[in-house]
Amino acid sequence: MRLKLIGCEILFRELCAAIARSGNRVDVEFLPKGLHDVGKEEMRQSLQEAVDRVDASQYEVILLGYALCGNGMAGLTARSIPLVIPRAHDCIALLMGSHERYQEYFENHPGVYFRSIGWVERGQNLEQLSLETTRKTSGVGGSLEELIARYGEENGRYLYEEFTRYTRSYRQLTFIETGLEPDKSFERQAREEAARRGWRFEKIRGDLGLFERLLAGRWNEQEFLVVPPGWRVAARYDEDIMVAEPPS
Amino acid sequence: MSELHDAILEGDAKAAVVAAEQALQAGADPLDLVQSHMVPAMDEVGRRFECEEYFVPELLLAARAMKGALALIRPRLAAGGAEPSARVVIGTVKGDLHDIGKNIVASMLEGGGFEVIDLGADVPPEKFVAAVKEKSADLVCLSALLTVTMLSMKTTIEALRAAGVREQVKVLVGGAPVTQHFADQIGADGYGENAAAAVRLARRLVAAA
Repeated sequence: MRLKLIGCEILFRELCAAIARSGNRVDVEFLPKGLHDVGKEEMRQSLQEAVDRVDASQYEVILLGYALCGNGMAGLTARSIPLVIPRAHDCIALLMGSHERYQEYFENHPGVYFRSIGWVERGQNLEQLSLETTRKTSGVGGSLEELIARYGEENGRYLYEEFTRYTRSYRQLTFIETGLEPDKSFERQAREEAARRGWRFEKIRGDLGLFERLLAGRWNEQEFLVVPPGWRVAARYDEDIMVAEPPS
Repeated sequence: MSELHDAILEGDAKAAVVAAEQALQAGADPLDLVQSHMVPAMDEVGRRFECEEYFVPELLLAARAMKGALALIRPRLAAGGAEPSARVVIGTVKGDLHDIGKNIVASMLEGGGFEVIDLGADVPPEKFVAAVKEKSADLVCLSALLTVTMLSMKTTIEALRAAGVREQVKVLVGGAPVTQHFADQIGADGYGENAAAAVRLARRLVAAA
């Protein structure tokens, strides 16, 4: 098969490894992690533009190296060729290899912050999913110095306190090791971050299976959503996570 | 426009407290201070936020100024027998630790004249139920930032129903991944896209109740 992959740069190495092992011919476009920071509507629009840029005569299927991602995937529409998307809430589930494993970990480990190779080298900010929606447009998430410069000493400190208070609810940083790490430097940086924030550190084994099956074309219905031409992605708040809806 | 109004609009907490003190000393009616100066100031803050003249920091600073002045005025209000317009229980649902959005909505509701009972983040359904019963709340506001935890909104509404208090409250939901469609699916009474919209919606729902 000839496949086009549109992926998030946070998963750059994992997706590239899966491409290398794929029996298919794959072209790839990576989009910036910052897409998560602009809000669900804008993220969907950017993804749709990327899908619409694909020359459908050259490929049989478009793969999305994404998850539901704060509902940024909801509403994405397949044009003349199908879309295939892993059924997961976010990239942490993808890195763990299954939605079920993520769900179980999430429920048994409250207050966990995640790091992976991609999050260490590309995820600059603490806000992982969509909190940064407001960052650029609203001033949430600025550094203490930026806030003081803009709003004065007393106000700046107050705002910084308001914007960072929730991070004190976190207790642990979990590094997901996939085996693609070239050395220990990524784990070391994650350990240092945990120590700096006063969090417990845990390393768990990642699982590249979802990436491999996505690129290999082994799209079982439980793990992957296939969106037929003309249909669109809709979020579901059950085990399906996402379903395809016909044009209305 | 009064100094109190302007101090809130400008997010100047110290000036707002001074202006409230002076107004009270000069014999101003506490209820009139709230209704004719403070609530209109917060409404204007909400309006500026919606047309992107104000952003989250300005919103928080204005809310802080409002609360500072309100802390002075509230004892006089209570002494005069004035009741807040309605009582709101608010929290981020179970499993979700993110609270910035929830805190902003709580501040704006308080600024809009509501009595706000903030349960914090990672709040289990039974805690919402207990607060609704104990405080005879009129509104319940649920926040979530993760699609993984959005389902906790549904279980919270189900818990309110099971406890027999669903009909006595209006339930509002919000947070970055939340949509109107989701609000409809789980049987919420409304969805607020931002803090200003949430206050408007809360007023409408209370007025209609």
